[in-house]
Amino acid sequence: MTPTLLGRWQTRILLLTLVGFPITLPFTIGAIGPGASPIFGLTLLYVILFGLLWDVVYDFLQQFRWDRDWPGALQLLAGMGEAVFLGAIAKSIPLPGLLTEDLSLRWFAIHYTCVWLGVYVASQSLTRILFPRWRFRGGKWLG
Amino acid sequence: MTQKQKIRLNWEDPVTGQRREPLLSPPISLGRLFGAMPDTLDDRRVSRVVLDNDDRVSRYHALIDFQQNNWVIFDRNTGNGTFVNGIRRDYWVLTSGDVLQIGDRAITVTFTLESSPNSAIPFHPETGLPDPHAVLTPSPHSFPPVEFRQSEFVSPEFLQQSGIFDPQTDRFDYAAIGAGLGSYIWVDFLRIFGVRSQQIVALGTQPQPYAKYKQLCLNSQIPLHERLRSNSDSCPDNIWGWPSYALREAWHDLGRGKLANALRYLWQVFAEPTFAETYTPRAGNVFASIDREAARIGWSQMYRYGSVRAIRKTQDGKYAIAYSRGKGNYGYIVAKYLHLATGYPAIRFLPHLQIYREQTRDLTLVVNAYEPHDHIYQHLGFQGGTVLIQGRGIVASRIIQRLFEVRQQTGKPVKIVHLMRSPLQGGRQFGRSRRPVKHHWEFQPFNWPKACWGGDLREILERANPQTRLNLLKSWGGTTTADRRDWQQLTELGLRQGWYDIQFGTVQKVERVGPKLQVVIPSHALEVDFIIDATGLDAEVKASPLLEDLVTRYQLPLLENGRLAVSNEFELVEMRSTVPGESPGRMYAAGTITLGGPYAAVDSFLGLQYAALRSIDALTVAQSPQLHYLNGFSSLQQWYNWAIGRSP
Ligand SMILES: Cc1cc2nc3c(=O)[nH]c(=O)nc-3n(C[C@H](O)[C@H](O)[C@H](O)COP(=O)(O)OP(=O)(O)OC[C@H]3O[C@@H](n4cnc5c(N)ncnc54)[C@H](O)[C@@H]3O)c2cc1C
Repeated sequence: MTPTLLGRWQTRILLLTLVGFPITLPFTIGAIGPGASPIFGLTLLYVILFGLLWDVVYDFLQQFRWDRDWPGALQLLAGMGEAVFLGAIAKSIPLPGLLTEDLSLRWFAIHYTCVWLGVYVASQSLTRILFPRWRFRGGKWLG
Repeated sequence: MTQKQKIRLNWEDPVTGQRREPLLSPPISLGRLFGAMPDTLDDRRVSRVVLDNDDRVSRYHALIDFQQNNWVIFDRNTGNGTFVNGIRRDYWVLTSGDVLQIGDRAITVTFTLESSPNSAIPFHPETGLPDPHAVLTPSPHSFPPVEFRQSEFVSPEFLQQSGIFDPQTDRFDYAAIGAGLGSYIWVDFLRIFGVRSQQIVALGTQPQPYAKYKQLCLNSQIPLHERLRSNSDSCPDNIWGWPSYALREAWHDLGRGKLANALRYLWQVFAEPTFAETYTPRAGNVFASIDREAARIGWSQMYRYGSVRAIRKTQDGKYAIAYSRGKGNYGYIVAKYLHLATGYPAIRFLPHLQIYREQTRDLTLVVNAYEPHDHIYQHLGFQGGTVLIQGRGIVASRIIQRLFEVRQQTGKPVKIVHLMRSPLQGGRQFGRSRRPVKHHWEFQPFNWPKACWGGDLREILERANPQTRLNLLKSWGGTTTADRRDWQQLTELGLRQGWYDIQFGTVQKVERVGPKLQVVIPSHALEVDFIIDATGLDAEVKASPLLEDLVTRYQLPLLENGRLAVSNEFELVEMRSTVPGESPGRMYAAGTITLGGPYAAVDSFLGLQYAALRSIDALTVAQSPQLHYLNGFSSLQQWYNWAIGRSP
């Protein structure tokens, strides 16, 4: 897949909502993790929010690649970068709704990894099957 | 059309220094005295060639004739003899390019045909195979009749009265012209979008949709086990691109306990092209998957043998297709929606090679990489030799790989001279990025940057005006090869060991010198055994009689590069077949005949899928029969049918 900026935004919102939140649910109700807490859902919201800015950066970097593509390996590196950034921010500045002391970095990492894997796998399979035009439109599924 | 054999003799007069090159019909006599040679032979007029001012030439020295499809020369028991390529012969079957020595004169013979031969090799209209002798101009009495040819709108009565049109069996909603890969993909989508197979016909000359493609692959040295230059999720058998070929191959290998292979394919598609070499599917796997899907959608019921001669609008808002069924039988088909995917009409040669082939009719020493040329590898396997290659694309890479294999397997001295027009220092630049270059080869995973298929480059091109489009294509395309480690190692090994040599220059002349070819480039002359032209295929509309006729009849606009102008939906808008009170018939095109339009990668599996999707989406919006928009749940359902092999 060779995303465009609009495609990145649309795909990010679609997948983090439709795949990310269901994966977050067991963490929120305490079936997995340190106990029931809304903090996982909130971090996911921040991943979407900051991600919309990150996408602008990635789109810029893509212009330096001859193929203007963004392979899975770069998605992984970008995902790790976003996680570190979010973790560091959340620990240093109090983000609205996200209390620094509540955030266990270990569980943040586990939750984040699960979501990332789920989104990656869905983008490689289910998205293509549900939206046959998605891959020809740089990741846009709307309009 | 019968063609008369002719022979050209070519020599320099020893006294005047003038070059003589008469073109002669058989029989031909050679001698010192005009009067000593017969004027007729078996009631045929003799062409008498006088070689005077040389005592070593007899008064009637030799006779050249065309017998049982061969050119032969007879020496007339002369004292000084007749030499062919330096050896004295009393009787000899000539090959184009042979050199005769008679007295002082060295005479080169070249065979030609009366009618000027085609400069490119067309694919035979009935068989679809490359055929240098194929005759493409229709004779005035041939099918379809003048009444059809000259009309812009054919009347239903004309078809009824033709006697070769049956409204019961020859009328369809959808017709795909070509029945190659582009047609197959379009038909596959129609079926998945809800059209029944009875409403579709695919007209072509080979029952397997990949027949012509496979033949071009095999000719250009991609055997079934080799990998194509194609993306993992570019799956002609699967609109969704999932599971991709890499997943399928990984799954297959995993089942056979080859875990390392399986992991490697997965890693490749995850990291390519930045951290791993790009994954590409094996040719054989792609064909097998196409067969499977063809069976699922009922391709064989929809396929009909037919070489399409002409297409006309009808007075009732449809199209009439005049086609030959072979063996002198003809027919008409009527359809409302048409799709043209006729692929490459001809194999193209570099100009100097065209000239050589036209003059000598030698079709064995100078070949195009896309025509069958196994004899070259066989010959080299027996006695070695030098091959000159022109072109630095993917096909040149394959040929070099194949020549290396011959060298390895037989131990014979096979040498390669790679002639390039000019050195390449830096690669093509676009925006902030630049294409890599090594040893004067330019690299990219596919024939276009990846974003041409679905990324921002696709959007940029679609938005651009016609002139900008051609400029953009120039900066993204051009001749490139795949960045394969094994090929680069070969290049380096060959350069080091001296059997691969890169030279620069433009060819000025190619001549036969004895059994060898002399290639003259500005700085010097090269002596080689074979020349392989790996520069390409011809896709200009005018090379296809069918398209040429269509363009002429309806005055269709052509792009600057000689291709058809299509809309963003790949429609030939001027071809709408309108009739009051009804939605118009529409005609679409796909493949290389549309290059220069809204999409760059038109000649690729994924590009053919893109074009099919755009055109069928447009047809769905126009409420064409039986089509239902495919998305979300309906798409999932159709994918499920695909996965379990159930008809759509
Ligand atoms: C050697 C080679 C390798 C390639 N490798 C790849 C690859 O790895 N991946 C990729 O994505 N793309 C590849 N391509 C490009 C492209 O996918 C193929 O060329 C593909 O076959 C194009 O499909 P098509 O339908 O346009 O043409 P074709 O598959 O050639 O089909 C056209 C058909 O129309 C028929 N036809 C023409 N005129 C008439 C007429 N008047 N009446 C009836 N029938 C007619 C022809 O006989 C032919 O069968 C490759 C191309 C070549 C040449």
